[in-house]
Amino acid sequence: MSLKDLISPFYVWQRAFQKPYTQKRPIEERPGAPRYRGFHINLTEECVGCGSCEAICQNHAIDMVKVEGLEPRNGDSGLRPKFDYGRCCWCALCVDICTARSLRLSNHYAWVTEDPDAFHFIAGTDAMPWNQNSLGYRRDDDYHLLTHDRIEMDALSPEESLKGFDEVMKGYTEEQALLEADRCVECGICVATCPAHMSVPDYIKAVRNKDWEGGLKLLYETNPFSTTCGRICTHRCETDCVLGLQGTPIAIRWLKRAIADRVPAERYAEILNDTFTENGKKVAIVGAGPGGMSAAYYLRKQGYGVTVFEAQAHGGGMLRYGVPSYRLPENQLDKDIDYIRSLGVDVRFNTRVGQDVPFSELMDNHDAIFIATGLSSPMKLRIDGEEHPRVVSGLKILDDVAKGQDPGVGKRVAVIGGGNVAMDAARVSRRVGADVTVLYRRRIEDMPADPEEIHESKAEGCHLVPQAIPVKIKDADDPNQVVIVWGEAEMVSDAKGGRPRPVLQEDRMHEETYDTIVSAIGQGGDYDFMGECLGSIEQKWGKFIPGAYQQTGVSKIFVGGDIANSTADAISAVEDGHHAARGIHRFLSEEGLQ
Amino acid sequence: MNTVEEILDFAIEREQQAADFYTDLAQKVNKPWLKEMLEGFSREEMRHKGKLKSVKKGEKLLSAEQKIQNLKVSDYLVAVEPTENLDFQDALIVAMQREKAAYRLYTDLANNIDDPEMKELFLGLAQEEAKHKLYFEVQYDDQILKHN
Amino acid sequence: MFEPAAPVDLSSGKYLKLWQGPQHPGITGNMSLELTTCGDEVVACKTHVGYLHRGFEKLMERRTFIQNFTIVCRIAVPEPTFNEYLYAAVVEELSGIKAPERAEWIRTFNLELMRLGSYLMWLGGVGAAFGQSTIYQWTVTHRDYILDLFEEMTGARVYHMYIVPGGVRGRLPEGFEDRARKVLDGVERLLMDVEKILFNNVVFKTRTKGLGVITKDMVDPYGITGPNQRAAGFARDVRRDSPYLMYDEVEWDVITGTASDTYERAWVRLQEMHQGIRIMRQVLDRMPTGGPFQTPLPNVLHWEVPKGETYIKAECTRGEYGYYLVTDGSQYVRRVHVRGPSYTHAIALMEKMAVGTNIADIAGLMVSLHTYPPEIER
Repeated sequence: MSLKDLISPFYVWQRAFQKPYTQKRPIEERPGAPRYRGFHINLTEECVGCGSCEAICQNHAIDMVKVEGLEPRNGDSGLRPKFDYGRCCWCALCVDICTARSLRLSNHYAWVTEDPDAFHFIAGTDAMPWNQNSLGYRRDDDYHLLTHDRIEMDALSPEESLKGFDEVMKGYTEEQALLEADRCVECGICVATCPAHMSVPDYIKAVRNKDWEGGLKLLYETNPFSTTCGRICTHRCETDCVLGLQGTPIAIRWLKRAIADRVPAERYAEILNDTFTENGKKVAIVGAGPGGMSAAYYLRKQGYGVTVFEAQAHGGGMLRYGVPSYRLPENQLDKDIDYIRSLGVDVRFNTRVGQDVPFSELMDNHDAIFIATGLSSPMKLRIDGEEHPRVVSGLKILDDVAKGQDPGVGKRVAVIGGGNVAMDAARVSRRVGADVTVLYRRRIEDMPADPEEIHESKAEGCHLVPQAIPVKIKDADDPNQVVIVWGEAEMVSDAKGGRPRPVLQEDRMHEETYDTIVSAIGQGGDYDFMGECLGSIEQKWGKFIPGAYQQTGVSKIFVGGDIANSTADAISAVEDGHHAARGIHRFLSEEGLQ
Repeated sequence: MNTVEEILDFAIEREQQAADFYTDLAQKVNKPWLKEMLEGFSREEMRHKGKLKSVKKGEKLLSAEQKIQNLKVSDYLVAVEPTENLDFQDALIVAMQREKAAYRLYTDLANNIDDPEMKELFLGLAQEEAKHKLYFEVQYDDQILKHN
Repeated sequence: MFEPAAPVDLSSGKYLKLWQGPQHPGITGNMSLELTTCGDEVVACKTHVGYLHRGFEKLMERRTFIQNFTIVCRIAVPEPTFNEYLYAAVVEELSGIKAPERAEWIRTFNLELMRLGSYLMWLGGVGAAFGQSTIYQWTVTHRDYILDLFEEMTGARVYHMYIVPGGVRGRLPEGFEDRARKVLDGVERLLMDVEKILFNNVVFKTRTKGLGVITKDMVDPYGITGPNQRAAGFARDVRRDSPYLMYDEVEWDVITGTASDTYERAWVRLQEMHQGIRIMRQVLDRMPTGGPFQTPLPNVLHWEVPKGETYIKAECTRGEYGYYLVTDGSQYVRRVHVRGPSYTHAIALMEKMAVGTNIADIAGLMVSLHTYPPEIER
């Protein structure tokens, strides 16, 4: 034992004079660190109720619940997370996964209340003492639990694509499809938005599992035009996909295509195994487009004898004659249609109802009729000079090309319109070697065409002129040319909050000479073939207004597709067809439907 | 037309004529849904008539200063003859152009009169018609030009 | 259980059964020692565990790979980050993910800071077990400053949940490095003081020198690792023998002792704390301040780790800590086994070493082995 060992412990006194370390709570409050994982805050307005927080919570501390005064709508389930602080461990995985980034934690340390039920609350909706805290745990900008960027699909370069009518988008490779499918959080918000309510999360899961056959079965539950829709669907689902809130939405459409493309047509029958027994009842369908053929498919599966009357030489309707083959190759469309026909659906091509066969014959010889003729009459500009021979409709050009004829548009083309038909007419004209200008009366973002179409048209060299209103068409000096007069437009806001409206500025007019003016401002329907039946069928703005199950005032007539819905796209037509098939089955079976 | 009463009676009569015009046209057309649409137009005109009647009882007209939006949708459209083969696009054009004509009539009347009270009244009526025109122009923009 | 030389006849009245724990005021946690004493001499010792059994290994089989990272921290409460790191490491290895370099630096810092915090708490425990509670007051205070750093860095004081498979959950906060240096300086000064009043204290020296000697031939048969082993003269350290993270990038020494008694074990740990501070200062100097700190994971909501098995070990405060993971290609762990040093140190070794000691020394002896019951029971 040394003297040092005896003395040195007394060094302890030195620290006796230091300031104490302890804090006098609650007199001295110590705020949590700026990143402290305290109590939950949810920005209810930004939250879309995808439920990823609920899915990732390992303690089952989160329930997605209905919130008073918040209605579900497209892109928002109307549910919000309710937290149970008897279970929560404040790991904040819910914050990390939040697709809307609306969920966060405050840096609040302690919460004392005498009401035990208060520990079960809806964050952001219920008033909590920490709701206004500006600090607390947030997901770091460089830390992600989700992949926010879409896996790009290989495509032909604009130079290559302009050379012909080969399909521009090459489709996902298996590896790309798997990576893209992996991004899905399976919230199902897309299912509500999809007009056909396809089971999107399920078939994306099938992609992840490389279960192409199971995927195809899922697709056919709601959509017998999967090969087609996998290419040209308007994919409203993607608009509402929660992955789009912080990045790009899942390429739901391309994943659908990935499934359909991986199953060869020869194997469809074996995989889908659509067996049925004839029930002896007969249904007539007018129009072999997506609406008519979908109805045919689902009716046939119930055992109905189905006859489809089609005015054109091939099926597909607008999909064949309105969508060029660089977006939808004909053999892919045929893959869908041929399978439906293989079930014994009788399609009578080149048979125009009202001309080649009277409508009354359909009425007399069938138990029910589904009409899905589509909108095939181009709308008129109703401006001076519209009857000029160098003014043609967009549909005419697409129809010519689909039938292998030269549309003869010349070297300088102006396309009027902003929809898909306008974009396709422009792109087709580019392919036959013309300089193309697209005149659209509103802004680019108002264009009803798919964003991809707009993007690809630009890439292929179409010159897009927004806010341009055509006012007059005149003869040019050269009889093979035509002059268009158009004026610039200013956008004015709509008093009721709708989209802004263009107003012509008469002091800013332009005159240009073209070889062809393509008018593609929309289509109307032609229903004269239905004769006096029309009187009993409700219509508005040139479209039918069907009742439940697409049924009309004439109880055996059902309508659907572009002529009966406001969206006028393939997927809505498919749903109308499916819906009508269910309606017709109810109407003709015991289940009733008057 | 020298008194406020007379002018208002004239305007009310015009609205009645317009309503009758649509009712007659509705009888002629061969499309039942168009018939319904035209009857709707007719009801709209009757509503205008009701509005003017209450003006006669003392309610205020729109003030001339109040700017009514002119979308100029109809300005460059071709004139359409109201025949039995009308479609809905034509029907709307007919309606827009009729309202426009009425607006011009009252504006001209206002320009050719010196009495400030009368002038004010005609301009107010013109404003009313401009509002009606806007109603149809918005319909046209929303329905006919929906995809454009 | 080690039988005393002569058979114990309880009815003779010569012996007394004495329970130490499971409620224990020190830092040895909820386990109990069933002591058979003769006078104040311990003649037999039997350990009883199970008071903290929460079944982590089983729980993990029912949770997805991302969910598990939030529960592993609870396996060793005073030093959760070793669990976080090892869990991340096994999952990363089986799924072929490599964390970015910046994350490796941050992880190294995190682990060393945790080691220091854990040692500080232990040091207080040693003081308290030998009647010197002042040490406890001082060290736990400084541990709290370390917890403050953790709070800033990770968002929580104890269950950090910061090291996630693929990297870490966030960048270091603004000005963190300076505050960390200040805390390290404070701890360094504290250690000097503790050395003066504890290690140079005649009472402490007298009571601990020669107490609980682990002989060299016991080390491998008893599976003794960490400072307990190094105090016996083995220069073994996972950080040096199979380097992970950034340990081969920084300079530090493996501390060894010779006497292998309670005093020596404490002294080795004291020196290791200085080494830890040395490592952390180097990390703070060299850590990149930009660049990614997380490698993107597959979608964690349906993350399937390929079939495989692996064992990864790291040097925790108390010895070799390891995670053994078996996966079957599904979204769930097939089997996970956590190898903590407490199991070998606190059961077989303790039962042997207690025999022949004094009742008053039992607490100090237990502390000197530095064990955590929750880690025994996983």
